Amino acid sequence: MSRTQFLLRRIGQSLLVIALTYVFVFYVLFLLPGDPIESRIVNPQNPIPAEQAAAILAYYNLDRNGLEQFWISVTRLFQGDLGFSLGTGRPVAELIRDGFAETLTLAGLALVFALAFAVAIAATAVLAPWRWARGLADKLPVVALATPGFLVGLVLLQVFAYQLSWFSSIRDEGFKSLILPALTLAVGVSAPIAQVLIQGLRQAYGEPFVTVLRAKGVPESRIFGGHALKNASIPALTLFGLTVGELLAGSVIAEAVFNRSGLGFVTEQAVRAQDGPVVQAVVMLVAIIFTLVNLLTDLLYPVIDKRIAAKTLGSGTGSRTPAADLDTRQEVLTP
Amino acid sequence: MSQPTLTQAPAVGNATGPERGTTPAVRPRRPGRPLVALARRLGAADWIAVGFLGILLLAIAAPGLLAAYDPLEVSPGNTLQAPSLAHPFGTDYLGRDALSRVIHGTGRTIGASLVAVAIGLGAGSLLGLVAAYFGRWVDGVVSRIVDVLLSIPGLLLSMVIVVALGFGTLNAAIAVGIASVATFTRLMRSEVLTVRNLPFVESAHHIGAGSKTVLFRHVLPNSYSAVLSMTALQFGHSILWIAALSFLGYGAPPPQPEWGLLVAEGREYIVSSPWLTVLPGIVIVLTVLSISRVSALFRTNQETKK
Repeated sequence: MSRTQFLLRRIGQSLLVIALTYVFVFYVLFLLPGDPIESRIVNPQNPIPAEQAAAILAYYNLDRNGLEQFWISVTRLFQGDLGFSLGTGRPVAELIRDGFAETLTLAGLALVFALAFAVAIAATAVLAPWRWARGLADKLPVVALATPGFLVGLVLLQVFAYQLSWFSSIRDEGFKSLILPALTLAVGVSAPIAQVLIQGLRQAYGEPFVTVLRAKGVPESRIFGGHALKNASIPALTLFGLTVGELLAGSVIAEAVFNRSGLGFVTEQAVRAQDGPVVQAVVMLVAIIFTLVNLLTDLLYPVIDKRIAAKTLGSGTGSRTPAADLDTRQEVLTP
Repeated sequence: MSQPTLTQAPAVGNATGPERGTTPAVRPRRPGRPLVALARRLGAADWIAVGFLGILLLAIAAPGLLAAYDPLEVSPGNTLQAPSLAHPFGTDYLGRDALSRVIHGTGRTIGASLVAVAIGLGAGSLLGLVAAYFGRWVDGVVSRIVDVLLSIPGLLLSMVIVVALGFGTLNAAIAVGIASVATFTRLMRSEVLTVRNLPFVESAHHIGAGSKTVLFRHVLPNSYSAVLSMTALQFGHSILWIAALSFLGYGAPPPQPEWGLLVAEGREYIVSSPWLTVLPGIVIVLTVLSISRVSALFRTNQETKK
């Protein structure tokens, strides 16, 4: 299979997955037995005025059959119309737009923290001169993976906001109030990366080239940064998709704990109000990002690691690329 | 890339080991009392993990035996007390004993995780088995289902299903179960694909065994060991996911004691009574750690047996 064929096939596959996911989410949210929209919007507890509620009901064409409803939703999607929130009556697109930037900033900062943690933990686990430090750093990711995100957040909140008063728990302090939620997200996300880095670093330090570098008098810091870490990061790249997924899903918890108003908060509120249209939009957005990141990882992997390039393109099975092949959770979570 | 071989190694070893049974001389360890052999190799941390799971089992089977108080009994004069001998985990805003609530919540949280794992394991491995064994379009359809389920991060996928099913412990459990189907399907599929190409399966075909016999007598018993260790892992995951869903308020309605909900209730008093969130949280962490520790024991036991 030529490189272009492989590329096209992989892109087509991703588009198909996104389309099928849309069908799946639509059917789960709107067409399961029971009446997901009417019972929720015509409800004494619903804050939306009766007229607006009636308009939203009419908008969703509940009198049509499932296939027609699906078709209407797809046409509207291509016109950029995502429907209306059943909980607030606001257009879904607006809710998403308002929350997206905030969550993106949070996830970005969390990713930076997570990478820093992962490298620090892996370096300690492999290189620390003390046995106890190596052992501790080796176990740390396992404990982090067993800790619920909300617990991390609440402990950080208790210690740094209430006990030490370094951060305000109520006031919005701009960048500063991003730090604790980002740390919360980073703890869980860094653990799998650290585990893969530890494995990679151990392997790299066992290679003969390290001995050669030492014999040549290359300083240890350069051996670590310029050679060992570089080699160890290649397998960690397969985790990139998983990491992005964890960041997006984890933001629901982090934003709930810290009362932030990003996409995660929108999701949390939407699930609480069983607000189908909002949940559908958020989940599809996440699924699209997640699928595209996985696609990108698969396509970039051969570019970064030339050894894989030969294998992937030569074997003729385009779908079995490294990221797709690796059952990351199985591999990573095993202590 | 070492990853794929790592997951497949135990199954291949198992397949060539006991099933053929032609080379008993190579295996000096007799499979008589595996539990005794296992117990001898346990370290201190392993014993702690086993002990902790034992306590949990007791808390599920007979919560009244461990808990000193009724988990729902309100005691107005005793609200928000710090941990003491009488109330090791303190008391909550209604004066209920927090430890008793954790103990009584064990059955609900662990039970929900068991339901979730059972759904994931059952549906997932069946799909994987069918996909790998029949191949062709069946495999294509199953693979697309797996792709769709994996295209949404697990916690979000379970939230979608919770929206469709409604709140409650059982619904949260079903949601988490559906969210973990794809993981099992993918693993089972790859395990079966490995086993069905081994010579003894081919021989069984040649002797004239029907495809059902081959599937259930030969392929399945030799491909499930990796799936079983995944089950233990996924069990830990399920506890975390169910705790997260119940923390967000999608699980059991309050006054019911459910671990995630206990943390969420304690959250309101985190400034004055941090133990109400931290101690139940630590119980969750210890549970997941113990499960992964014990499942690792069984895995290493399998590997040494081959």
